[in-house]
Amino acid sequence: MTFALFVQSAIVGVSLGSIYILMALGLTLMFGMMHIINFAHGAVYMLGAFVIYYIFFQGGAPYFAAFVASMILLGVFGYLVERSIYRPIKGGIEPTLVALLALTTFLQAAGYPVFGQLDKHVPPVFPGTRNILGVGISVERLMIIPVAAALVIALYLFINKTRLGAAMRAIEQDKEAAALQGVNVHVVNGLAFAIGFALAAASGALMAPIFKLDPMMGEQPLLKAFIIIILGGLGSVPGAILGGLMLGLIDSIVATALGAEPAFLLSFVFIIMLLLFRPTGLFGYAS
Amino acid sequence: MRSQRSVIWAAFVTVAGLVALGPGNAPAQEVIKFGVSTPLSGPAAPWGIPHKNATELIFDEVNAQGGLDVGGKKYKLEVVAYDHKYVIAEGVATVNRLIAKDGVKYISILGGAVVKANEEAVNEGRVLNLPLAYADGLVSPKNPLTFHSFPSPPETTTFWKWIKQNHPSLKRVATISPNDDTGWWSIKVETTFIQKLGYETVAKEFFERTMTDFNPVLLRILAQKPDVISVLASPAGSVGLIIKQARELGFKGRFIHIGQVDTSVVANIAGKANVEGMWVHGFVQAPLPEKIKSWQTRYTKKYGEWNATSIDFTNPAFAFVAAVKKAQSVDPKKVADALSVVEFDNLWGKAHFGGKDYYGIGNQIIYPMPFSEVKDGVATLVTQLLPPHN
Repeated sequence: MTFALFVQSAIVGVSLGSIYILMALGLTLMFGMMHIINFAHGAVYMLGAFVIYYIFFQGGAPYFAAFVASMILLGVFGYLVERSIYRPIKGGIEPTLVALLALTTFLQAAGYPVFGQLDKHVPPVFPGTRNILGVGISVERLMIIPVAAALVIALYLFINKTRLGAAMRAIEQDKEAAALQGVNVHVVNGLAFAIGFALAAASGALMAPIFKLDPMMGEQPLLKAFIIIILGGLGSVPGAILGGLMLGLIDSIVATALGAEPAFLLSFVFIIMLLLFRPTGLFGYAS
Repeated sequence: MRSQRSVIWAAFVTVAGLVALGPGNAPAQEVIKFGVSTPLSGPAAPWGIPHKNATELIFDEVNAQGGLDVGGKKYKLEVVAYDHKYVIAEGVATVNRLIAKDGVKYISILGGAVVKANEEAVNEGRVLNLPLAYADGLVSPKNPLTFHSFPSPPETTTFWKWIKQNHPSLKRVATISPNDDTGWWSIKVETTFIQKLGYETVAKEFFERTMTDFNPVLLRILAQKPDVISVLASPAGSVGLIIKQARELGFKGRFIHIGQVDTSVVANIAGKANVEGMWVHGFVQAPLPEKIKSWQTRYTKKYGEWNATSIDFTNPAFAFVAAVKKAQSVDPKKVADALSVVEFDNLWGKAHFGGKDYYGIGNQIIYPMPFSEVKDGVATLVTQLLPPHN
């Protein structure tokens, strides 16, 4: 592998990592708050992409309006899921996992009759490519970096600088104590679901013009997002950022040097090695 | 009183006669169930949907003419189709269901990995199989009831000879294919053939069918500066993404798919301009011979939207109908014997099963195979060639 090719693959890796970060954000937020692994994350990502397909491509609305609509619609859906699934089963971790898995299966299965059997596509929103150090990167992919950064900053500010964010952190530390201090746990949990789902929708909405759309499109991103949050530390936003970038770089540099299969295997070997020395991940902590 | 009785009797006899002669009491027509296990959803659905539709349409047309005449008895043809999503486990489940529950004796399975997973069930069940699939060892003396109904790489690699003659400047070939039985075998056959022709295989990559981001793999391929990228055995959705991302990374050369792919689906994903110049076997949009135009009209009338993949996917149904007529039997073994010798018309001309010299058994369909180039967004027929083995 030449140095030039290494640099090119690193650039592709950063672009890939930005996609991964975006996928992992909502997942890590919900785990941090409620210790829930949201199996529906991939299905919500898929729905977010289809909202873009119908509102932007079919409906002719401006892309950013469709993007915001996707986040709002799926955010509301997340709140309703909290009300109708998480709250009635009183937040039990295992029942919630199974319920979210069932929701995923339902959404994927319903996707074919509702969206059709053939892959869908969304035309480019930011056409063209930019040449960076000899490698052509599509503008669409480059746009992910500032959008992912903006969403990370917004999430950071919301969690650390607002009363609702403080309530979320309080619940994360001690749900009962937070409730005794007057925090409405149900409302804040509902909000966490809404934000988690909205972030998954944002990922799907951004990916829609880059990839193709089908009801199963969320499976691979969900797997990557799981790897990232384990790598970065469950519930840690900085961990998701570093984990996403590391995985993007491993995927790209190893796949460029050795091929796609070794890259897939090596990403798991890397995680196992890391967890052997640091079982809580890069930024995680033992509860 | 007596005349009243006579009238009642006459009415009774008339009604009884009408009931007896009416359609409800006509001798029930026998039904031949033909199983189709194919991907009706997911990335491979652009293959599976026309597979099912083409089979149904041909059978509908046979049924409209009174059904299939076998030994003086009329049989109605019925398709029993299940979606396997190109997932092996689903493929096994659907074939088991077709054989055990639906009792089919004739089947057409699409997808190399799925057909291979069902090899034993098909052989043990003595089911006649007319698959559309690429897999090593599928056409083999150990599968005497399997008649492969679509040209596979040992047949379609012959198009590389045409490329060699018509585009001699192309020398460096890279391949990217699914990481499964279908992909491995297809690429093995293709690279062996093209290396004998003098091409240099500069990269050989495999991908998981769920992969959507091909950038790292393509970066690796493009570093070898190929003139042509072969996407053999890849489904339309993946091909669209590969082409789109390769063009973004700066690839200016040609793409080729000597398997079969719907270039209009590919263009939807990759962008029309990016697909220009692509070569493809088994997908033609223009110019269409009269026979295919008629098929297009009938297909569009029944299904609304035209699908050119359906042209070559009519083969299992055409072959089956011709063989049952020839055998004058519904016994799968006798139908198989007839398939070995029958010559029949498909939409491209005369077809038969052969290839014994290559496979050790003459169970591979042979006909003048179409080859297209995408020009102004349209898959345009450039040549029709027979396989190297007959």
